Amino acid sequence: MKKASIIFRWELNKIFSNWHKTVTLFLLPAVLMMLALNVFPLLINYMSTGSFIKKPIVLVGAPKSFDDYVGETADANVYSYTYMTYHELAEVYGRKNGIKNLLKGGTVICYFGSDNGDASFDKIISDYYQELIKGNSNAKSNAVIFLGYDAESLTGSLRAQQFKQGVLNGYQSSLIDRLGGEYANIGSNLFSTDSFNPVTKLMDNRSPADMAASRIVPGVLMIMMYYCVYSLASDMFASERERGFWSKLIMTPVSSIDIFFGKILAILVIVSGATYLTALLLFLSSWFNTGNDAMSLLPFGMMLTPSELLIVAITIPCTVFIMTVACIATVFSLNKMQDITINLQLPLVFFLGDFFLQMFRGTRPMTLEYFIPMHNSLALMSETYQAQEKLWHVIVVLAVNIVIALIALRVIYKKEGLYDKSKRHS
Amino acid sequence: MIKVKDIHKSYTKETETIKGVSFEISKGKIFGLLGPNGAGKTTLMQIIATLMKPTSGTIEIAGLDPAKDLLEIHRLIGFLTTEIKLDPVSTPDRLFDFFANLYDIPKGEIKARKEKAFDRFGITPFAGRRISELSTGMKQKISIAISLLHEPPIIIFDEPTNGLDILTSRQVTDYLKELRQEGRCIVLSTHIFSVAEELCDEVAILVDGMIVAQGSVEELIKMSGEKDFEDAFFKIYVENHKEER
Repeated sequence: MKKASIIFRWELNKIFSNWHKTVTLFLLPAVLMMLALNVFPLLINYMSTGSFIKKPIVLVGAPKSFDDYVGETADANVYSYTYMTYHELAEVYGRKNGIKNLLKGGTVICYFGSDNGDASFDKIISDYYQELIKGNSNAKSNAVIFLGYDAESLTGSLRAQQFKQGVLNGYQSSLIDRLGGEYANIGSNLFSTDSFNPVTKLMDNRSPADMAASRIVPGVLMIMMYYCVYSLASDMFASERERGFWSKLIMTPVSSIDIFFGKILAILVIVSGATYLTALLLFLSSWFNTGNDAMSLLPFGMMLTPSELLIVAITIPCTVFIMTVACIATVFSLNKMQDITINLQLPLVFFLGDFFLQMFRGTRPMTLEYFIPMHNSLALMSETYQAQEKLWHVIVVLAVNIVIALIALRVIYKKEGLYDKSKRHS
Repeated sequence: MIKVKDIHKSYTKETETIKGVSFEISKGKIFGLLGPNGAGKTTLMQIIATLMKPTSGTIEIAGLDPAKDLLEIHRLIGFLTTEIKLDPVSTPDRLFDFFANLYDIPKGEIKARKEKAFDRFGITPFAGRRISELSTGMKQKISIAISLLHEPPIIIFDEPTNGLDILTSRQVTDYLKELRQEGRCIVLSTHIFSVAEELCDEVAILVDGMIVAQGSVEELIKMSGEKDFEDAFFKIYVENHKEER
């Protein structure tokens, strides 16, 4: 074991003394993941709206109830809002081509008003509900919302239509809760949260956030793990074999088991560390997403209990172990570096496919899936994020991956045609 | 020191790379394996160095059996090849320390051995530099220094001067002569006649996986009836090589 620890420290030293490798292994994937999480929503935004940026809406005389609605509603967050008073709008109107310029590029004006100029929009709605409570069935609200857009602009008219359907209709439905007072109790529950409070918000959001995380996080971690394992195994096994350094190493009085153990342990430690870092970044990206952007892949509120966290923490090194052995098997079963590189990259396609399948599948994993090496880790982590994991899932996944990895290692060891260096006679 | 008896090696069922090779090498001698590319030199060297198991036959190194005493044998062997490329981001200093630790060399002694080896090959000024920044010759010298840091009595050297410039090549051959004088047993493979002529006490000519002639350079010339070693080799080769159909 002393020799294994020398090899283990040597491999760690090799990685951390080379900043290119350190950055490639630890920072690059994490940064790429973060970029992907932010760029992907942008792309979806672009595909649905034809624009990378949030669509501009000018709010004139926006009431507090609307501000609250925007802050709490994901669909309302795809727009960027500019606030304007009635007076400012009047000034724009007074200028030559003022309104025309304002509506340029498909900007939509959303005007909250009433024919009673002195009362605020919210007050009018609130009064309306008061009248209903009093039993005045003929009560009418004179509150109005105007949408202004350039009728000649297709973007403007489409945006106004989308805004009306996606935001205003929902806002109107929410008014009974916001401003209905006693009247709201008749047909609906009172609205309780109107400002960001981590505890209440977490309770509200945890379930959908964990559901989203179960679709995204395990797949991202699997790709991240394989990318790191592949990079390290290429360097520690394939490149060393090609350079002849491997021969130099096995010519030392160190058993092959110690050499394999030292190197595999180094991969386990480095890759598990990098994966934990990525998992933490994904967790933070959910927790910092307090605005709950509609397009966000990881909504606010991702949360694991300590036991769930433990399952994910154990599954990661176990998966790294079987991935490492799979890479070693590839390296030792092929001779040409080019073939090795191609064959090591192929599983990345598999993990990418598995990631997308997981993202869009609507069913829970089947029992059989827990017996498929590597894929079972994805299934287990996915179930864990949804708090649906069972003890037998954990046992089967760990047992299948570890046992298959150990059997494969034994086969590689025998196939290599090495003398059994573990027999120490001195 | 080394006894090789009826070694056979097949990579596939159809072809045999080594076909019943036997020889013995004693202490303080340089034994050369001479043959064209593809004759099986590297395979044989790897079998002697215990990097590869023979399909059949036995090897004995300093009276030890590789199947039983492999780790002990590895303490006795220094294996060198010009094909070895050291880790490009490492430094000679770190590589030496790493291998010295694997050979269980006491910490106090590592420094002394390193200084001696690095001074001998002029590595000291480059000890802290990355391998990737050094010349091919310097890399080979570092490789030699590291391979022999445990002062092995048996040295196996595959193509010692392959790809080296004349100056480094000369330094390597001089060093091999020094090692012989120290009583080490050296096995080297080469396809360069001058190296075999200059260094080897005994040469085995390997053709198609078989030793077809063995003896000192003078004995081989005499045996073939030719004037010089190069002509002797070609005559022996032509007489024994079978063209594959």
